[in-house]
Amino acid sequence: MDAATLNSLHVPITEFGVNSGIHAFMNSAWAWPAMESLHFLGLSLLMGTVGIFDLRMLGLARSISMAALHKLVPWGVAGYCVNVSSGFLFFVSDPTQYLYNPAFQLKVLCMFIAGVNMVVFYLTTAKQIKASDAGDFAPLNARIIAAISLAAWSSVIVFGRLITFHRPPDHWCFWCT
Amino acid sequence: MEWLAWFEETALSTWVREEPWVFPFILSVHALGMGLSAGVSTAINLRSLGLAPRVPVELMKRFLPLVWIGFSANTLSGVMLLIGYPAKALTNWLFYGKLLFLALGVWTTIRLCRQLGNPSAEANKKLAVASLLCWAGVIVAGRFLAYTYTILLAMWWVE
Repeated sequence: MDAATLNSLHVPITEFGVNSGIHAFMNSAWAWPAMESLHFLGLSLLMGTVGIFDLRMLGLARSISMAALHKLVPWGVAGYCVNVSSGFLFFVSDPTQYLYNPAFQLKVLCMFIAGVNMVVFYLTTAKQIKASDAGDFAPLNARIIAAISLAAWSSVIVFGRLITFHRPPDHWCFWCT
Repeated sequence: MEWLAWFEETALSTWVREEPWVFPFILSVHALGMGLSAGVSTAINLRSLGLAPRVPVELMKRFLPLVWIGFSANTLSGVMLLIGYPAKALTNWLFYGKLLFLALGVWTTIRLCRQLGNPSAEANKKLAVASLLCWAGVIVAGRFLAYTYTILLAMWWVE
């Protein structure tokens, strides 16, 4: 893609946001902070449930079975869905704030890493974990996956928080010259 | 208000507002601490409401230290935010509402953890619902603080 295309990526997204009415809704009284509140509630749900499952795989609270604790993870997935939906509303309402913002780009990268990491978990060691008992240690590969998950989701939160600093100063963008 | 305006001119308050990276760093810590304190409390509450039934409910209090870590991080980062913009928070009634929800959220979570083993699951469930609502209240109030303040800096008001 040439520079002109890259710099006009937001145009069709803006059109979609306006035509679909999302832009008008998000700019109505209190809609933006209300959606942000949902975004933060979803974040807490995801971090609370997936986070303690990851920490258990890393050895915290070993008296709790990993298989039993895994039943809370779907609630984290619910939080994730809330956040993808509310995030979509922000994105199409003001695409220039996000598309060219290094904090947003890094956030999406970390979400991608967390997603691949999750797929690897369910394809490899999840079966062992679901068959484990209270007191069991997680195998090494599960512990590595848990550590990556915690690091990736924490980074998603931090980079998400940094998006606020719209059009950050140049030194934020370490790949820019 | 004069006192707040004076405070905003101190080196520490100016540092929080103006030093590159300091304010975003504090906000990031505050968001992570929120995920930890509100999130882990939520997980304890969800278990008390009957989810993940094979987890022995009284063992959920093993996760309470995580709530304290998040709470400590957020007390520290919250005080730093208050040092940077004291008038913004102190002149907004919603800020006191947030503190009230926070106190109730922490109190209900601790109380729930103390009585998790007891057989009255019904009482625990009521407490868990109250706790979930309080933590949600903290988050919603906190987010709306960025939109409902009337005075950003007292120093602009006084002069």
